[in-house]
Amino acid sequence: MAQHAAKGARFQAVTANRLSDGEVVYWAADNRWVEGFSEAEIADGADAAEALLARAMPADFEAYVLEPYLFEVLEDASFYKPASVRETIRAAGPTVRLDLGKQAGA
Amino acid sequence: MYRYDEFDHKLVADRVDQFRGQVERRVSGALTEDQFKPLRLMNGVYLQLHAYMLRVAIPYGTLRSEQMRMLAHIARKYDRGYGHFTTRQNIQYNWPALDQIPDLLDELASVEMHAIQTSGNCIRNVTSDQYAGAINDEIEDPRIISEIIRQWSTFHPEFTYLPRKFKIAVTGHVNDRAAIKLHDIGIVVKQNDAGEVGYEVHVGGGQGRTPFVAKKMNAFVPKAKLLAYLEAVMRVYNMLGRRDNSYKARIKILVHETGEDEMRRLVEAEFAKIDASQMLTVPQEEIDRISAYFAPPAFETLPADSDGFTKAQTADADFARFVRANVVAHKQAGYAIVNISLKPIGGVPGDATDAQMDVIADLAEHYSLDEVRVTHEQNLVLPHVQLDDLKTVYDVLAANQLATANLGLISDQIACPGLDYCNLANARSIPLAQEISERFADLDRQYDIGELKIKISGCINACGHHHVGHIGILGVDKKGTEFYQISLGGAADENAAIGQITGRAFTEEDIVDAIETVVTTYTDLRTDGERFIDTYNRVGMEPFKERLYD
Amino acid sequence: MTDYHLVIDGATTPETWSYIDDDAPLNDAPIISLGRLKDQADALRARGGKLGVVLQADDPDKTRGKTSMGEDVHELAPYLDMLSLVSIAFPIYRNGRGYSAARVLRQELNFTGELRASGDVLYDQWAMMNRCGINAFELAGDVSLETFKTALGELSGAYQPAADQQRGALWARGK
Ligand code: HEM
Ligand code: SF4
Repeated sequence: MAQHAAKGARFQAVTANRLSDGEVVYWAADNRWVEGFSEAEIADGADAAEALLARAMPADFEAYVLEPYLFEVLEDASFYKPASVRETIRAAGPTVRLDLGKQAGA
Repeated sequence: MYRYDEFDHKLVADRVDQFRGQVERRVSGALTEDQFKPLRLMNGVYLQLHAYMLRVAIPYGTLRSEQMRMLAHIARKYDRGYGHFTTRQNIQYNWPALDQIPDLLDELASVEMHAIQTSGNCIRNVTSDQYAGAINDEIEDPRIISEIIRQWSTFHPEFTYLPRKFKIAVTGHVNDRAAIKLHDIGIVVKQNDAGEVGYEVHVGGGQGRTPFVAKKMNAFVPKAKLLAYLEAVMRVYNMLGRRDNSYKARIKILVHETGEDEMRRLVEAEFAKIDASQMLTVPQEEIDRISAYFAPPAFETLPADSDGFTKAQTADADFARFVRANVVAHKQAGYAIVNISLKPIGGVPGDATDAQMDVIADLAEHYSLDEVRVTHEQNLVLPHVQLDDLKTVYDVLAANQLATANLGLISDQIACPGLDYCNLANARSIPLAQEISERFADLDRQYDIGELKIKISGCINACGHHHVGHIGILGVDKKGTEFYQISLGGAADENAAIGQITGRAFTEEDIVDAIETVVTTYTDLRTDGERFIDTYNRVGMEPFKERLYD
Repeated sequence: MTDYHLVIDGATTPETWSYIDDDAPLNDAPIISLGRLKDQADALRARGGKLGVVLQADDPDKTRGKTSMGEDVHELAPYLDMLSLVSIAFPIYRNGRGYSAARVLRQELNFTGELRASGDVLYDQWAMMNRCGINAFELAGDVSLETFKTALGELSGAYQPAADQQRGALWARGK
């Protein structure tokens, strides 16, 4: 879990994989894990990001998810999108199988 | 083929129950993820980008048709209708849910299969030659000793928490199709002057961040003593291998840092002690019992030629091409070895759908004495097909997109899952393999280029064997963007070699052109009959570099 | 008082030993470091009485070269006659060096005294430790004897011989 530490990033969100089935999930403003990136809470600034990660990791977080972490998000016109190829692929699904992953239902 | 006895069945069943308990303890919170992770890994369960991944062992790459059918069933019921055959003769499923994996493993166990030790810092699935028992001039079927090693290494109490993973490969033939010199231990079946069968043992090969070709540690270990010798290697490694840095923890680093001669001395000293105890000398009756499972199947006595087969080739040019590229001579008159390429033009290397797996299982049952093989180059093999049946088999394969006639050619690439699936990836591998395959789609051009092995990894872990590709491609990450580095001159066969990097990496837009430049440099420079690797070995890196970077 | 549940040969057993720091005085049943054992071997031999040693799998001082290879079990050989206990430390369950140390002690050096696993000794490792010749376990305080026994019985057999009584299927079949 190295390459996505988001040093110097302005906007960040928290993601993890769900314990029961490994599904990619995001931490949402109403303090729960959601499947869609569009519902993820976006932190503005380093302090807000740390606070967001702390909220996503209460004492019992391991009962729900694996390895939560922060990743960089970019602001693009009126919406946000993940900065890295990796997080873009996690948010959508394999680029070689457009019939699979979250993109399939979209 | 080996069949489980009651003992084997019981132990695999115990293991599934044990894992079910471990999953329950994880879900209930009794185990932390840190404690659970090595346990799930030891049962083949990884976490990838989108979901869990389950790696199922195909010991020494041999499957019966009912086992292939089970793999298809699992793809349908627990996954999304496909599986990925890997360079280690395993199959990976990309979408299973953790809480369903114990049930999945129960079903696998019903056909004598499992996911035991397909990951984790233990002795992994033993791999071998896909042509075992079918190819001419084999000293002994390598699956016999592979099965003995499989049993010895399964749940080995001393070697389950090694410094790092440990991979063993075996070949029984002078032509190495199992990349044995790139394994922690590589074994070559040998015959001594007295006509006895034994094993040449190579230690310390591997890929990853620091690739090494294995060193020959012992030229001839007698058959009954091989396990004693292996236990000695493992003990030296377990006691002295580094645990302070996971990149330096493989046995290749121990051999390198200790020195080949000192390593040999340490191993021989330990071997002498274990051998003297007689504890690991395998009884002849057990060797005989296991050998009997690999006795040649019931071949029919057939003429060496088949009229129908010859005529079919004349009548159907595509079939003739398939025969030329994908069919290999069998040791038994009237039979052939048929390679099934899992590299259709533009496809995902190594992927097969549940329907394709079912088709192959049926073909194996009817036309290949019930056997299918898996190759480290991510293809499948029907090892025992009668010449008279070849056309029928081909037609079925062709109707199921399984008859691409490209074995060993430029579009027969190895590619790891890369950033489309893998948690550790820097860059995507599969789309690149697809683009290269499409660029060189014309089969006549591929035949003209001849044998050329392209191997692609999405990061330095080298699951896609890029270090030993004639052309290797490594994905690197520069500030969140994918770049690709090229290496040339690697080889994974009996002349194993690590490729050399050409220079700076190429962007996603430029990499396929760069590969084409490498290929045309070769076709411009080759002399008659020279393969890519021969030309490279003759002319070296310079001409390629010039054309790539001028 | 100890904070662990000591199980010896499958039975809960009160602790009679204590780990003694290198600069602390010895008591009746001390477990000392390998370093102290080597430094004070003559005096310890003259002292007589019960003596145990703890073998570290990690070697922070890197006494054996640049990297941490842990303490070498073979160094115990000259002292085994004075030792009735060897405690093998598992600094973290992933560090499996101690499994080899245990087998060497039992099968090469023929140590017959108490062989303990100390440190990060978890459920899923007990059975393997047991097979390597470890007969005493410092379990976390809340682990019951019943749980311990369940763990040991999870696999009904073995393929290979080790330091226990099982011969391994490769040797036992047809016998
Ligand atoms: C998500 C999936 C995977 C993960 C996380 C993974 C992880 C790794 C890691 C960390 C290494 C480097 C080990 C080392 O240098 O010590 C490695 C090596 C390797 N993996 Fe994978 N791998 C994955 C999938 C695959 C696949 C799909 C294949 C086969 C196509 C494969 C075959 C290999 C091979 C052959 C090596 C090289 C062995 C060596 O280092 O000697 N792996 N893998
Ligand atoms: S080489 Fe890297 S990217 Fe490819 S499968 Fe292995 S770990 Fe993943």
